[in-house]
Amino acid sequence: MGNNKMKKPFGGIVLDSSFRIIIPFTLVYGIYILTHGEYSPGGGFQAGALLAVGIVLVRLIQGADKESFNITGAKAIVCAGVGTFIYAATGWLTLAGGGKFLDYTFLPVPMHHWGELHALGILMIEIGVTVCVMMTIIDIMDAIIERLDADEDEEVDDCER
Amino acid sequence: MQVLILEALLLLFLIFITVCILISKDILACTIIYSAFSFCAVLTYFMFGSPDVAFTEAVIGTMSTIFFIAALKKVDRWCK
Amino acid sequence: MGKVLSTILMAVVTVLFCFCTVFLPPIGDVNSAPNQHVTPHYIEHAKEDTGSPNIVTATLADYRGFDTLWETSVMFVSGLTACLILMVNTEEGKKVLKKDKKGGAKNGQ
Repeated sequence: MGNNKMKKPFGGIVLDSSFRIIIPFTLVYGIYILTHGEYSPGGGFQAGALLAVGIVLVRLIQGADKESFNITGAKAIVCAGVGTFIYAATGWLTLAGGGKFLDYTFLPVPMHHWGELHALGILMIEIGVTVCVMMTIIDIMDAIIERLDADEDEEVDDCER
Repeated sequence: MQVLILEALLLLFLIFITVCILISKDILACTIIYSAFSFCAVLTYFMFGSPDVAFTEAVIGTMSTIFFIAALKKVDRWCK
Repeated sequence: MGKVLSTILMAVVTVLFCFCTVFLPPIGDVNSAPNQHVTPHYIEHAKEDTGSPNIVTATLADYRGFDTLWETSVMFVSGLTACLILMVNTEEGKKVLKKDKKGGAKNGQ
């Protein structure tokens, strides 16, 4: 059943083909930038912005009624809060391990080398920042578009009377 | 030496674009010119040696153009 | 009268601020205080302390990770504020929106 939905074309042929090629590449590239933030230029903020652009493109082309990437306003804010919480939770974990706040040497994870513990701590922080930035951008876009839709619905009601 | 000339040209172009935005009376044209401003800013950051910031500015420039055009639907397009 | 006074005040404050920048060290100066103690330590010890060859990420996420935490929280609060102001879901709010729009249409005509 899912295969039939994916095979139906929508919009014109240009929109359809470019959508199916650009969106997966953008999302995978965003996650690549997140995980390789330690070796090449990148990091949390860049990855969050890029992932948000991918999802905004889906919303612009397909509208809000379809089932893919259906994240609306209230859920997006909750997920942004979860992202900030992940960042703070890393700090609390290091406190529980016996060190200062955000001191990655004391993470309670059984790794042997000192540099690897720091790399793990940086990765956890960047995941939190990415989720927060992505959900904030999706949420602002949702607020603007829903406000436009609310006003247009009232215009239709007035004309019908 | 060539890099200095290129940087100077880019900064002068930035100032010229800003003056155009301030003078224009059509808000939709201002939005499109603002995305050109964002592109020049991307090139400037890239030439000063920070690719992270250039990356983020490119993405945010695209996003802000979409938001401005969406918010422009409810406001008059010509400012007096 | 009020506008002239505020313009003069703005001009005086601007000139004062621009005058004070003469006392700062030039950009990229080797002898300024941060460049002699903090910067060489970060550049030399970033790879072994944090395990990443990217000094920008090591500074943002390891040496100055506390500042990045509050920057992220500021971004979250700004998104929350924009959403709270713009989204209207209750019946009362929709009635207020309709009244505003009708008042605006009459003024325009």
